[in-house]
Amino acid sequence: MIIVKDLHKKFEDNHVLRGVSYHIHPGEKIVIVGPSGSGKSTFLRCLNLLETPTSGEVWFDGQNITDPKTNINEVRRHMGMVFQHFNLFNNLTIMDNITLAPIKHKMMSEEEAKETALKLLQRMGLSEKADAYPSSLSGGQKQRIAIVRSLAMSPKVMLFDEPTSALDPEMVGEVLAVMKELADSGMTMVVVTHEMGFAREVGTKVLFMDEGVIMEENTPREFFANPQSPRLKEFLSKVL
Amino acid sequence: MEWINSVWQHIDAAFIRENRWQLYLKGLGVTMQVAVAAAVLGIVIGTIVAFMKISVKKNGKPTILSRIANIYIDIIRGTPSVLQLLIMWFIVLKSCQNGVLVASITFGINSGAYVAEIVRAGILAVDKGQTEAGRSLGLTQVQTMRYIVLPQAFKNILPPLGNEFIVLIKETAIVGYVSLKDLTRVSHQMTSALYDQFTPLIGAAVIYFVVIKILTILLAKLERRLRKSDNR
Repeated sequence: MIIVKDLHKKFEDNHVLRGVSYHIHPGEKIVIVGPSGSGKSTFLRCLNLLETPTSGEVWFDGQNITDPKTNINEVRRHMGMVFQHFNLFNNLTIMDNITLAPIKHKMMSEEEAKETALKLLQRMGLSEKADAYPSSLSGGQKQRIAIVRSLAMSPKVMLFDEPTSALDPEMVGEVLAVMKELADSGMTMVVVTHEMGFAREVGTKVLFMDEGVIMEENTPREFFANPQSPRLKEFLSKVL
Repeated sequence: MEWINSVWQHIDAAFIRENRWQLYLKGLGVTMQVAVAAAVLGIVIGTIVAFMKISVKKNGKPTILSRIANIYIDIIRGTPSVLQLLIMWFIVLKSCQNGVLVASITFGINSGAYVAEIVRAGILAVDKGQTEAGRSLGLTQVQTMRYIVLPQAFKNILPPLGNEFIVLIKETAIVGYVSLKDLTRVSHQMTSALYDQFTPLIGAAVIYFVVIKILTILLAKLERRLRKSDNR
């Protein structure tokens, strides 16, 4: 579904990604872990071209999206993204946050979009927040709304960029629960996270990124039980 | 008692006799006319220049438009507004005999540079994550600007824009250089007509002060209301 070929990203002199290649299949839940500065967030943001790679290719559904001729806005409709800091639109109500993109893309009429949004909100138990503004929500609620906002576009893949890192500890659980449910529904997911429990439980593959490359890749069981590289051993000994 | 009487005499001579207050009122009219016209023009120019200035190429380098915007802002901020006015009056718009028009254009162009910085700062103050979220949903750059960034930037922009208008009202006091009879000019002329410097000048200062004080109060009210409806 997503094929990444020899991806490089430089910020000025900082060589963040040093040749990342990977193949993500439909239905997989790829969890990416690694120390900060290892390039895992940059890698994720290159998948929907929020960062433009310095070199290398990203293919999505048989289309080279790093080709400048590709209409990236069209591609992004099919790739949901959830951010560390939620990034709900502060000037819009929750309902408008969710329906803005589907309506502007003419994917749905206004009524359809609202109906879809309400259904999704109900599933989250947040339907009474439809007319509220983001500022009145807790962090956990914001992140669940952000997930709903992406889901309203019926994406083929969901990208999560440290979705629980900015949350108070007691709110991490509610967000992870939603993500688990989403994983169970068969969604293809790429998740950058520090939640090792989530990686172990939900991931179909766990990647360890360090110094701009994928240093190790394995099933969750093997990844945590039999780490190969010394760097991963060291990393796991610190976080577990 | 005699002292009060003398003050009254001066006030009477400077403002009341022969309906002289009407001259000040007309002067204030000219001042406000130039200030309002310049503010409107300044907002139009400033908004365009702000977008020029924040435009970047795909490789992150500034565009030609952005360079032009920078040069314009540099020139305006690097030269005295009196000179800008004289240059417009005697050189650039020499054929135009309408002083109010020339002054309005000059101050509009002048104010545009400052408004550009205000608008730019207001847009850049909106969290980058808002843009990223919009783009990640497949919205175009223009859609993201229009529906997400600009409504939020507007709240950042409005208060300093009000301040800019207040500055503009005071700045126009130099239009006497191109023989416009604004409030300052009228009071200045009155000093020589009456052989009394004190009353007309202080009087004009009081009028400026009152007008600006009223605007400041209105502005503070607006700002408070904006903050109340602030959903951030």
